[in-house]
Amino acid sequence: MMVDHQNIYLILSALLFVIGAAGAITRRNAIIVFMCIEIMLGAVNLVFLTFSRANQSVEGTFMVLFIMAVAAAEAAVGLAIFILMYRKAGSIDVDRFNIMKW
Amino acid sequence: MFDYVWLIPVFPAIGVLINGFLGKRIEKFNKSIVHWVACGAVGLSFLVTCIIFFQMLGLEPEHRFYEFTCFNWISGGVLQTYVAYQIDPLSMLMCMFVTGVGFLIHVYSIGYMAHDEGRYYRFFTYLNLFMFSMINLILANNFLLMFLGWEGVGMCSYLLIGFWFSEEANAVAGKKAFITNRVGDFFFIVGMLVLFCGLGEHGVWSFQFSRVFPNVHLLSPNTVTLVCLLFFAGCTAKSAQIPLYIWLPDAMAGPTPVSALIHAATMVTSGVYMVARSNILYSLSPFAMGVVAVVGALTALFAASIGLAQNDIKKVLAYSTVSQLGYMFLGLGVGAYAAGMFHVLTHSFFKALLFMGAGSVIHAMSGEQDMRLMGGLRKKTPITFITMFIATLAIAGIPGLSGFFSKDEILWQAYSSPHGHFLLWLTGAVAAGMTAFYMFRLIFMTFYNENRAPEDVQHHIHESPKAMTVPLMVLAVLSVIGGYLGVPHALGGSNRFHKFLDPVMGMGPDKIFQKAAGGSLHHVAEGSHVAAHHPSLFMEYLLMAVSVAIALIGIYIAYVMYVKKRDLPEKLAEKFRLLHRMLFNKWYVDELYTLVIIRPFHGISNFFWKIIDVIMIDGMVNGVARVVGWGSSVLRLIQSGYVQCYAVSIIFGTVALLVYYFLKIAG
Amino acid sequence: MELTLLILCGGLAVITSLMVILARNTVHSALWMVASFFFMAVLYLLLRMEFIAILQIIVYAGAIMMFIIYAIMMLNLRQETADTEPVRKSKVVGLGMLVVLFFVLLVLGVGRGIEALKGPVTDQMMEKFGHVAVLSNFLFSDYLLPFEVVSILLTAGIVGSVFLAKKGKA
Repeated sequence: MMVDHQNIYLILSALLFVIGAAGAITRRNAIIVFMCIEIMLGAVNLVFLTFSRANQSVEGTFMVLFIMAVAAAEAAVGLAIFILMYRKAGSIDVDRFNIMKW
Repeated sequence: MFDYVWLIPVFPAIGVLINGFLGKRIEKFNKSIVHWVACGAVGLSFLVTCIIFFQMLGLEPEHRFYEFTCFNWISGGVLQTYVAYQIDPLSMLMCMFVTGVGFLIHVYSIGYMAHDEGRYYRFFTYLNLFMFSMINLILANNFLLMFLGWEGVGMCSYLLIGFWFSEEANAVAGKKAFITNRVGDFFFIVGMLVLFCGLGEHGVWSFQFSRVFPNVHLLSPNTVTLVCLLFFAGCTAKSAQIPLYIWLPDAMAGPTPVSALIHAATMVTSGVYMVARSNILYSLSPFAMGVVAVVGALTALFAASIGLAQNDIKKVLAYSTVSQLGYMFLGLGVGAYAAGMFHVLTHSFFKALLFMGAGSVIHAMSGEQDMRLMGGLRKKTPITFITMFIATLAIAGIPGLSGFFSKDEILWQAYSSPHGHFLLWLTGAVAAGMTAFYMFRLIFMTFYNENRAPEDVQHHIHESPKAMTVPLMVLAVLSVIGGYLGVPHALGGSNRFHKFLDPVMGMGPDKIFQKAAGGSLHHVAEGSHVAAHHPSLFMEYLLMAVSVAIALIGIYIAYVMYVKKRDLPEKLAEKFRLLHRMLFNKWYVDELYTLVIIRPFHGISNFFWKIIDVIMIDGMVNGVARVVGWGSSVLRLIQSGYVQCYAVSIIFGTVALLVYYFLKIAG
Repeated sequence: MELTLLILCGGLAVITSLMVILARNTVHSALWMVASFFFMAVLYLLLRMEFIAILQIIVYAGAIMMFIIYAIMMLNLRQETADTEPVRKSKVVGLGMLVVLFFVLLVLGVGRGIEALKGPVTDQMMEKFGHVAVLSNFLFSDYLLPFEVVSILLTAGIVGSVFLAKKGKA
């Protein structure tokens, strides 16, 4: 069974996912990277909901629900980390942080 | 009823434990405790052996067989091997003289080693360990336990030859003995496995004598011959036969009691014992018997010839031992197993006596071993002289002494037995003449004429302490009367010795097939032994007379050369220069082996070391390490520390997975 | 009508998302982000997911974006630091790969009725599917354990962020 215009939803989510990913790998501001990840999550949510509809299943819907909860927790911890980074280095430019290597 | 047989090996083992672990402290505390423990252990073993022996004599011959299982030793699938001891006439005979002579030599060592401070306990530990191994070898009821003892005596031999290891020559001699024995042991192992697998094909998975021997008729003749030859190859090392005899003369680097115990009386006869034990196998393979006889005869002659020109008193005795061992194998090879064992017995008496006498002489001469510097000891060391003289008469085969009976029987069998030949007899007889010559040469050079030693040594010449002379006297008595155990029929005896061994040796090929047909294993039939058929009584007397005559001639020549006309040896050496050089240098056999075996072996070893090991194997190992190191230094660059780079690699991974998934559902 | 709304809102969602990653000013990015979330919520509504759409607005546009803007202001990050270093190669390669990813996703997703778990949702329920009553029935029965686990996760997140952002020793 398919939802009406299912393909449009899928194309949209793919597009949004790629846009988010593109931002996540190119922007240097950690907060923008973070926002891009939220866009990617939104795109994934869209796919989940589409298939949840299509298959008459609640699994996808609850997945979205939990993703949102996790995103909220992630936002809280992530922003705390940004504050720490800023305090340590005076910047949250991700290109400046490369000490985690051998 | 012989359930206490395990006591025989256990006593020396306890001695080893006490002296081995506590000996150093005991020796500091009181030296005599060390030898009391060691001698006591062997003495108790001897006592138990005597009890069992005489208890066994009280039984009917067909009941003289008993197996006692101590515990399960190796248990794996079809292979069940027990530490179990077998009591039968052969093992008890060996055990009697091994523990008996061993005990005497232990006592003798008290005197001989008295001046060896700090290592006293170790010497007795080794001796006890040797006794333990030797008893295991003899009493074992299966090949594996026998092999354990076989290796054990080899190791003790190594330890004792190199006992004074601070001198390099001794250490080298020990190493030579050990390595030469390894060669033989390898053949022994292979022989055991061939036998095991060969019988296994017929469903008899066992090393146990009482299961192997009654079933050997199942084997193909070629397998039997192969097994026999492999076993005999093992014996050539352990019992010093051509071509692996070379270690025994060098083994004289050890203390003299060791030479007497290990390298004359007991260990070197274990090869003879093994062949005698496997007599059923050999009986099935005439070819292998022929090899044994020929090698034995050649060794007897060859070693005797070297003995003619040696000046070191112990070297002479060493070559004499090799030669006498040759006799024993000659006896075994012509099927006269009992005669061979008889010679083992008498030889152990007179040869141990000779070595201990030589030790006494060396003791008196303050460690000098060169006979050219001796002489005239007859008056100063009378007990040593008399006892050694008796032993010399015995080994030379003078009628009435033990050596005569055993040696003569072997020679007679070499001629008359179905496997015998006139040439074998001739070789043996010539060797007997040589034996008489060099033994009397030893006596004359050592005990007659004037003393040629330096002044300071001459002052020290003295008779040895009681601990040494008493064993000499005991052995002298045994050397005289030992032969009367087996007086042949021709001389009016009843040959009790043969009868005694019949339950073990009587198993000719006919018997085995009879057994296969349902007869009893220990069934003894009259006249089954080869000695039973006499071609001619006259011939026997004739050959006996000839061999005695040859011996007397040898003695006379020695008398002429070394007592009457003492410049004769020099002249002869001048005249037959080449021959003398050859004999003096032991036919250059050691040099030949060095050239043919050791040098190429060193070359190959060097090749394996420098090319295969250092370059190839090390190169491979280090190469792997180097490749990994280089690869890591490249791959390290991937880990940049930038989080976005990692994100990119995640994307790559995702794409790869999706493409794979796509290809899968598309295909 | 529905299709028009779908294309319109979808297009706007894409455009606003693009603006998020293209804007120079961080605060502008954040505001574009809010817009993007709103259009996403409309898309959810079009899928008859009313409850999720409302959550989207409350949680994302309300709470998370508040966090973000608050952080931007607190850290004074309105402008991205000037580009001094050259663009790393990995970023270019990554972008190229993303294009590939997009097409792969299209090939895999579009036109296929991808099989998933067939849920216990009947045709009759379909009409009220996105309603709170239906969802909560499942949430407090079948999905009770995940629900509780998520609550623990959120608590951990609160504790963690307080601990990390605390002044002094961190």
